Amino acid sequence: MKKLVASLSFFLFIFSLIACEEKIDEDELAQIGSNNCRQIAPFVSHTPINPIRAAFSSDAQGIKGIELIQLPLHEHDSIIRYHHPSWVKYGYMGSVVTDDKGNAYTFPIPFVNTLNQTFEEINSIYKIDANTAEMSRYLKLPKQDSTQGIVPYGLLGIYFDCHGKILYAASVSGSTRDKENGTIYAIDYNTKEIVDTYHGIDAFGLCVGGVTGQKRLFFGSGRNASIYSLELSKKGKFKGKHQLELNLDNLGPRGDDKARKIRFDKSNNMIIHGIEFNYSLAAPSIKPETVYKFGYNFEKKQWVLMELH
Amino acid sequence: MQNSFLYSLLFVTLFLFACQENSTSHDDEKENAIASILTPDSTAASFPLILERIKKIDETLVQQIPILALIPLDEEQQQAFQLAKQSKDFIENLYHEQSKVAYRNELFNVYKARPQEIPANFSKGKVYKLELYNYALNLTTTAMVDIVSNTIIQVQTLKGTQPDIPTYLKDLAIQIAIQSPEVINALGYKPGEQDALMANTKTALNETRCERSQHLCVAPTFTIKDKALWAIVDLTDHRLVGIRWTHTGPEQTAKRISEKRLKFDKIMECYCQKMTHLNKDNWDFDYVITTSDGLRISSVKYQEQLVITSAKIVDWHVSYSNTDGFGYSDAVGCPEFSQAAVVAISEPRVSDIMDGNQKIGFALEQNFSSEQWPQPCNYNYLQRFEFYADGRFRSACASLGRGCGNNGTYRPVMRFSFPDNDNTFSEWLSNSWKVWTTEQWKLQNENTTATPEGYRYKIENKRGQGFAIEPNHGQFNDGGRGDFPYLYVTKLHADKDEGENDLVTIGPCCNTDYQQGPEKFIEQEPIENSNIVLWYVCQMKNDDRKGNEYCWSESYLEHGVYKTKVYPCLGGPMFVPLKKQNLP
Repeated sequence: MKKLVASLSFFLFIFSLIACEEKIDEDELAQIGSNNCRQIAPFVSHTPINPIRAAFSSDAQGIKGIELIQLPLHEHDSIIRYHHPSWVKYGYMGSVVTDDKGNAYTFPIPFVNTLNQTFEEINSIYKIDANTAEMSRYLKLPKQDSTQGIVPYGLLGIYFDCHGKILYAASVSGSTRDKENGTIYAIDYNTKEIVDTYHGIDAFGLCVGGVTGQKRLFFGSGRNASIYSLELSKKGKFKGKHQLELNLDNLGPRGDDKARKIRFDKSNNMIIHGIEFNYSLAAPSIKPETVYKFGYNFEKKQWVLMELH
Repeated sequence: MQNSFLYSLLFVTLFLFACQENSTSHDDEKENAIASILTPDSTAASFPLILERIKKIDETLVQQIPILALIPLDEEQQQAFQLAKQSKDFIENLYHEQSKVAYRNELFNVYKARPQEIPANFSKGKVYKLELYNYALNLTTTAMVDIVSNTIIQVQTLKGTQPDIPTYLKDLAIQIAIQSPEVINALGYKPGEQDALMANTKTALNETRCERSQHLCVAPTFTIKDKALWAIVDLTDHRLVGIRWTHTGPEQTAKRISEKRLKFDKIMECYCQKMTHLNKDNWDFDYVITTSDGLRISSVKYQEQLVITSAKIVDWHVSYSNTDGFGYSDAVGCPEFSQAAVVAISEPRVSDIMDGNQKIGFALEQNFSSEQWPQPCNYNYLQRFEFYADGRFRSACASLGRGCGNNGTYRPVMRFSFPDNDNTFSEWLSNSWKVWTTEQWKLQNENTTATPEGYRYKIENKRGQGFAIEPNHGQFNDGGRGDFPYLYVTKLHADKDEGENDLVTIGPCCNTDYQQGPEKFIEQEPIENSNIVLWYVCQMKNDDRKGNEYCWSESYLEHGVYKTKVYPCLGGPMFVPLKKQNLP
């Protein structure tokens, strides 16, 4: 009898856990990834940049740190550039994402060499304050026990999910050629608390989407041309194991691109920016990038290549 | 001189070291990577079919509309081709814009357009699609024409794309593969001759990529039971790039082999993950491609006596004089999972050093190259260790350009670590050897004095063994114009690592003084009778003036495709064993 009561209690407990998990309805799912909540930072109006055409850039050749640029209206218009003095203090930076208050987040990357960052510093997220424009270290992610044989990179991807209000960051710090040891962090952007981690994969380029019928974190692999996804709870925590979504193998001019950036357009097509990446510091003068557009076939539950350029 | 040096670089290569040790790993892919074979870039197939093709290419290149059209065309296809040639856009990429030298363009396909490709207003016409491939620019131009209305409907140019190759090129690729000794050796028979006898052998032509060279490549693949031999054939240069086995069993994921995968996996498994031992002509040492310090040799023995603990190049600094602070500090090393900005894409080479007809030593060489070299702002560095029969040893290096401008200075940072803890370092000053008592640095220039033999420094242990050091001032007959080096001597510490292991980049690009990185290890410590580390930073200024090119490279067109001419600037000191010399 005691056993029966115990079993029933256990099943009731599990049932209550399942029942408590918030559901995401279809309309809500369809908005995830394609709905942009990002705000223009208030500080932009105090710069020479027109806020409507403002964008952060870390791509300019030979420019350390971050720039705010005004996108030209016409092909021959020159680009207007602005940077706050603090934006060049921490070396070269990777991609930039903004949150629903206009704060921007980025991370250091080595460029050609590691003179600008140490292993201690590289696994960090930096924040540009929406009001003051000051850039400072926002969060130092856990450091690795050893530097022996590890790759010279820290973070490779960052994404702010408007739906769950979670900042996702992908780190490969501690990975070696023989051991894929990267971690995806889910961070409460208000408290800086790491609310969840997913360990054992080198992720590159992150994006949250709902097009497949589940809220999922999509990411490229740093090691091969695969795009994977990982189910998320409504609140943005990781559920289960990652699964293969599609492969860029043998597509595009290089045939083995890694997904530097993934985004969904208004029609929920997946837009992938693919580049060559080999975990070295090789930095070609012209960095070829191919943009792949995939649509989702609901019947076959497959991604279909629509175009690439 | 430069040409003869290049000739020796390319053709006096005696043998490549295959990484033939049996792997203890059961990982099939690793074993296949180790067993793969890379062929040197300079090797091209030269059987009659190839020679005939090159003749046709050269004949085409001098025509007014230089398009190689070897596919059989019926009357309508011929009409479509003639129509397409009237389009300015279709023939836009036939010549190099400035020099007007013809590129190699070849018509790959002419076929009736598929119904879904035909615009509605041409549905009653006869619409053909043509595909033209430009080998030099690696681009495809397609044209859609209607031969009924004589209309050019559309012309598109797609960079970095390659159309499906015609049947005769498939046959040519297979011929290149089956006639190559590497394929014959790997299969154990000459395919084609015995295929009929091998019921379980299939040959297929797989798609592949030559990502680095951006050439047109395909992979004839020979399947035997559960294994497939991939032979990557470069149809731009008519050569075999290399071969690699893969497993094809039901448990195996089909793995596509490309030029990059073939090269990177071989270099990583054979030269980055493990030491290679070389015992040759009284010399005995290990070598390895490091993650950031280039090719490192270690435990170097001459006639069974340890003479060098290790030698390597820590950094390459390049600065440009017209822009303050503009340049790069490059680490060189392994192609993947490394801190290298310029990476190894070929295997180390061993070649004989000749004096006339007499062999006087051998050299171990390794190139490190940016992917887009020789385009501007891309680099190619040569590292070369020379071992002479008389016990001399030289560590040399060269930039092969091309860099970001014609006002660059290259400063490679060499590091040498010597055995024995009773070494003393001396400098030739005022006709005698003056001992350096503490860690310090010195700049060499034209006024620096030397012994009558040309020795400026020596490192010597208490038993009188060691080396006299002869900096390069252009006397080595290799085109080098002198090193003008910064030289640093520091103490080797057992309790802290100052470069015995791989060093991250130690200095910035653009310091023009002694601050190249090694000065960080100078703490005025006494160095007499101790373990000594020598750092040697050459300074080579590049030059692009015609006839004076130095640390430079140029692209030129040959048979309609790009080739590279290099003008290396070799630097680096000679180490002459003391016991062989009658020093003052």
